Amino acid sequence: MLRHRLDLAAAAVLVGAMAVLPLVFPSNYLIGVLTVSAIYGIWAVSWDFMSGLTGRENFGHSLFIGVGAYTAGFLNTSFGANPWWSLPAAMVVSVLFALLIGLPTLRLKGPYFALAMLSGSVIMQRLMLIFWEHTGGEEGINGLAPLIRSQLGFYYFVLGTLVATTVVLLALARSHWGLILRAVRGDEATCQAAGINVTFYKIASLVISAACAGAGGAMYAHYQLQVSPQLFAVVTSITIITMVYVGGMGTIYGPVGGAILLVLATELLREFGEWRLMVYSCALILILFFLPTGLVAPLWQRLRGLLRRKGKDPLVPVAADVMEQQA
Amino acid sequence: MLEILIVGAVSSAIYAMLAVGFTLIFGVARVLNLAHGSFYALGAYGAYWLTSSLKWPLLPAALASIGAVALFGVAVERVFVRPMRSSQLAVLMITLAVALVVEQALFLTFGSEYRNVPGFVDAKVTIGGVDVAGSRLLALAVSVVVIAALWLFIQHTRLGSAILAISQDAQAAQYVGIPSDRIFSVVMGISAGLAAAAGILAGPFLSVQPTMWLLPIVKAFAIVVVGGLGSIPGSIVAALMLGYAETIVAYAASTSWTEIVSVLATLLMLVVRPAGIFGRRAAF
Amino acid sequence: MSALLEVENLNKHFGGLHALRDFACTVQRGEIVGILGPNGAGKTTLYNLLTGFIPPDPGARIVFDGHSLLRRPPYRIAALGISRTFQLCRPFAGLTVLENVVVGALGSQRERGADLQARGRELLARVGLAGREEVPVAVLSYGDQRRLEIARALAARPRLLLLDEPFAGLGSGEMADLSALIRQVHAQEGLTVVLIEHKLREFMSLVQRVVALDFGAVIAQGTPEEIVRNPAVVEAYIGRDAEVAEAAHAA
Repeated sequence: MLRHRLDLAAAAVLVGAMAVLPLVFPSNYLIGVLTVSAIYGIWAVSWDFMSGLTGRENFGHSLFIGVGAYTAGFLNTSFGANPWWSLPAAMVVSVLFALLIGLPTLRLKGPYFALAMLSGSVIMQRLMLIFWEHTGGEEGINGLAPLIRSQLGFYYFVLGTLVATTVVLLALARSHWGLILRAVRGDEATCQAAGINVTFYKIASLVISAACAGAGGAMYAHYQLQVSPQLFAVVTSITIITMVYVGGMGTIYGPVGGAILLVLATELLREFGEWRLMVYSCALILILFFLPTGLVAPLWQRLRGLLRRKGKDPLVPVAADVMEQQA
Repeated sequence: MLEILIVGAVSSAIYAMLAVGFTLIFGVARVLNLAHGSFYALGAYGAYWLTSSLKWPLLPAALASIGAVALFGVAVERVFVRPMRSSQLAVLMITLAVALVVEQALFLTFGSEYRNVPGFVDAKVTIGGVDVAGSRLLALAVSVVVIAALWLFIQHTRLGSAILAISQDAQAAQYVGIPSDRIFSVVMGISAGLAAAAGILAGPFLSVQPTMWLLPIVKAFAIVVVGGLGSIPGSIVAALMLGYAETIVAYAASTSWTEIVSVLATLLMLVVRPAGIFGRRAAF
Repeated sequence: MSALLEVENLNKHFGGLHALRDFACTVQRGEIVGILGPNGAGKTTLYNLLTGFIPPDPGARIVFDGHSLLRRPPYRIAALGISRTFQLCRPFAGLTVLENVVVGALGSQRERGADLQARGRELLARVGLAGREEVPVAVLSYGDQRRLEIARALAARPRLLLLDEPFAGLGSGEMADLSALIRQVHAQEGLTVVLIEHKLREFMSLVQRVVALDFGAVIAQGTPEEIVRNPAVVEAYIGRDAEVAEAAHAA
């Protein structure tokens, strides 16, 4: 179908650009920015897969990120393990946490689940500070080894992971799995009456989301070469949610664009110094008011419609109607 | 033992003021207001600023701060919450964004160091052989009075009845001509004022810094889940339970563990009885 | 012909309210049974008990095709072959019409893959919604949403179909169409159908046997003609629904 070929072409252009950019403009700073935006992309896509599809917004995604990062930190420094063990280990630990917190909280309605997850990430942050003797407290764990010595090499690894993650999650979202998750957002009781084990799907999607986020956390740890309780901060979760809003909730590919845009914007805001987070928060409010369906995905869908010369495409179900129906 | 009793009572009283405001706005407007912690912070900072920079005496500063925060609460409801009321998640996001803006504003204005809000009473009182800070006793007394006043207000005034009506059935209340929108604003103001008062009372023995809004939210949420969403008696009972649980843990183990108590309580309650102790409406 | 559904000793208390009293009923394969009762008689409670959404009081016996339905979660009961509709239409918001039907089939795991789309289209054609597959479900009229609900319930290839007030909110033309659809589905798919209603006209011509409820207890069972003449039923309805008196005269 032409629509899919256009999608593929756009994706190829974007990935190609991201791969080629650091070669055209050799600069460690640029590679760093791109690496961070790719990692945020993984986090944003994983969030969207669970929360964007089911409408259960997870306000504590930073929990899985921090858990993955600290796992990497402990494995690499305390146990001296090879950094490549961090990734699978981080995924396993994140999955465990997802089960631990997901099982009691997923049966809650949207806002309560959101707050419960928020509480979880706040408490993990406090725990890292409370057990400072083991976790390094405010300073966290330092001296991690990098995964790949070459900065450019590591960037390509992260970029590759981002592409793989997006492709897999997008495929899942477009399959029956995604259909069931979206139906769960529509009406859980009816799903049950149709024979669908709703609890299983909710938990499974949270687990998948957590595993990806944890892996991203481990990658981030081996990029910064240090781990601190700041990873669990609310700001991290909110940043990711903002990226998904900007990208287009529920689209899976939109948040990639959202992540890139927001990391770039944050870099451009560096000159504001102390005012950065303030500008950010105000921008978030404006986005919530004026861009509830996002920027990236709706723009792409309109562009794609124009390219097909058939006018506007019927929009892939995006969060606008979710926001109206959630109550 | 007596010390635990009194300190626990003080913690509970402050938590009760926080939680009652939180549950009030939920019961009436079905809004989980994440900026509630910001009202708490603003109350404390307001009193601090008025007394240290403008050299106001403490009581007028406290009252002015509470009043200002109450008005701010009304403004938040009008400008940010009302347009988003159709979706509880949108309200959650926008109030969280507001909380972040407030945090940053406080950070930019006052810096990130801990501040000290002066206590009303510097004296120490001895009760049954135990030294208790006068400010703690005052906090306890004021909280009890305020909550009792609120309870009486709800039970015995027309506005109070209107609030009860809306929390039971918002649409029906509108059909009988109760101006829900105006009442939401009033309730938000009351809720914000309560939170500000809690912040001022707690100021002397809690550190005041820009990120102080987050933990109260986690605790208020815990209390409301345990006590039952939308139930004021439930919030009071749960606040007592949490206040005492934390105090006992602090004396038995160490103060660091106190925050875990609230989260554990929340998780346990959610697993065992999601409607909370007094909740009619479950969280699912 | 063995019974498809056997219910005995079914009780439900909500606090002090005895919502369903000693309900007992047997449904044979291929029947169309109607459950009649005014509002509050316990009809939807009955469905919620049968489909596992609420647990019955101890001592109940519910057997579907040889399997006990007690202590099973709703999705497992549905997977055994029972589909239900709800009193208020509850479509999956945000999904298209076809997607709604496909989800209905996903739970039963009796079909796989591309077949689901084909079956979905076939069912939509059957209920008269052909050509509207890509329409977002929020746009449908109430009558069309009802048809969609039926298509979705059928997608799972159930053996027992529980309809909860399917005629509610429909105009008389729509009611006649729906009635014809139910009859057709019953004949073609060999379904057993149980139908809750409190509106009598369409109901009476559709069902073969009626169980009448009032205040949670069965007050009469029999054919439609017998039921409208039953004094207990008439007494339960006089003043609450003038249609009964009409139907009694018409029968």
